[in-house]
Amino acid sequence: MSVLLKNIIRFVLLILFQVLVLDQILIHQLVNPYLYMLFILLLPFNLPRPALQLLGFLLGITLDMFSDTMGIHAAACVFIAYLRPFVLNILSPQGGFEVTQRTPSVTSMGLSQFAIYVSVLVLLHNIAYFCLSVFSFADPLYLLMKILLSTAASLVLVLIYELLFFSRK
Amino acid sequence: MRNLIIFLRRYFNFFLFLLLEVICFVFVFRNNNFQRTVYLNSSNGLSGKLYSRYNDVQYYFHLKATNDSLVKENLRLHSELATSFDVRDTTSFVKFDTLRKYSNDTTRKLLSTEVRKFLYREAKVINNSVNREINTITIRRGSKDGIRPNMGVIGPNGVVGVVRSVSENYAVVISMLYKSSGASAGSNFGFSAKLRSSGEIGTVYWNGRNAAIGQMRDVPRSAKLHKGDTVITSGFSAVFPENLAIGYIDTFYLSDKSSTSYDIRLKFATNFYNLQYVYVIENLLRDEQTRLEDSTRNLLK
Repeated sequence: MSVLLKNIIRFVLLILFQVLVLDQILIHQLVNPYLYMLFILLLPFNLPRPALQLLGFLLGITLDMFSDTMGIHAAACVFIAYLRPFVLNILSPQGGFEVTQRTPSVTSMGLSQFAIYVSVLVLLHNIAYFCLSVFSFADPLYLLMKILLSTAASLVLVLIYELLFFSRK
Repeated sequence: MRNLIIFLRRYFNFFLFLLLEVICFVFVFRNNNFQRTVYLNSSNGLSGKLYSRYNDVQYYFHLKATNDSLVKENLRLHSELATSFDVRDTTSFVKFDTLRKYSNDTTRKLLSTEVRKFLYREAKVINNSVNREINTITIRRGSKDGIRPNMGVIGPNGVVGVVRSVSENYAVVISMLYKSSGASAGSNFGFSAKLRSSGEIGTVYWNGRNAAIGQMRDVPRSAKLHKGDTVITSGFSAVFPENLAIGYIDTFYLSDKSSTSYDIRLKFATNFYNLQYVYVIENLLRDEQTRLEDSTRNLLK
């Protein structure tokens, strides 16, 4: 399957999963799991940065349309799409990642690198999202708990996703 | 000029990032009057259709709870029917939007003709959220069915929210679960309420924590409160009729000894977790009331 087709399917499936499954289940007021930003994390390495940001904007605005949070998801997605190359640069070994595989994954980056990469960006996404959505620092502990617990929930989901769609090649 | 172009090309990514974020923030802050961007929320065709398809499936799993609540509501309405009282003081029926009241004796004189004030329309809930800061409900009724912004919405048990934006077939309702601190007036989303027992007026807010618990402010210290007292709509706002249940008092306390009003914690009458059907209330005399109020306010200025 070509990379383009794969990403289009991933975009649609992740949005549908987020809207129809994750937004419907209620765990706790402090835990809002988000998985859809995995689309940005799994885009190919060599994608130009403007394209990355525009795709992030598109993804965010699509979810905003469904959840009536105009612009909040989009702002968080553009934020992590902008920061993704910096995080990848820091994590990449000398001379960049192997060119045989063109997308970030456990096999192309190594387990620990990939785990750091995902956790940092998911955390950044949740910080941006919840700061904008709660929109007050009157109760910092509440905000902090919401960010941390939601990030943990998202990371568990990413782990399950990776276990489901793990490919060795 | 050349340097400027080089500078722009060099930091192109950063400027694109800033541009996109500015667009997002414009969206976020126009959220406050988002009737204008009606095509970018869940009342538009694409997401509306998807949500109603999804709800067709998911609805079956809630049939039992929905039935129970409808039966309960029927029971309540039946017990309020004139026929369930011993003395029938009216033989009135709705005709051409007026309610005729006849005298009780054998002459059957027409006492008064009352104009219909509130019109109810039923609507199916197709999407609902409870765990965000601003929670919205999408309903399968739109401008084609006569729904317009700022109409009140109630559920089988009590108040649910206010219609915010409307498309042809769908409408988005802002539910009572709209986070506001209640600290400063003006910027807050509160419901005018009163106590059923003593009639004291207050305002009901939600603090963003628990979808079953609300806050009531501005109830004077002189009020006599009891746990379990019913809090009802005041009927001042031209959105809701009087005497609809909002919630029941859970606990109440004075925030400090010198404060003049109670902080009341109340349980919402509506269960926002399994909302399936709601009723949209149209106030037929609303325009008249708001026009009068506005003109008076302008006179006072």
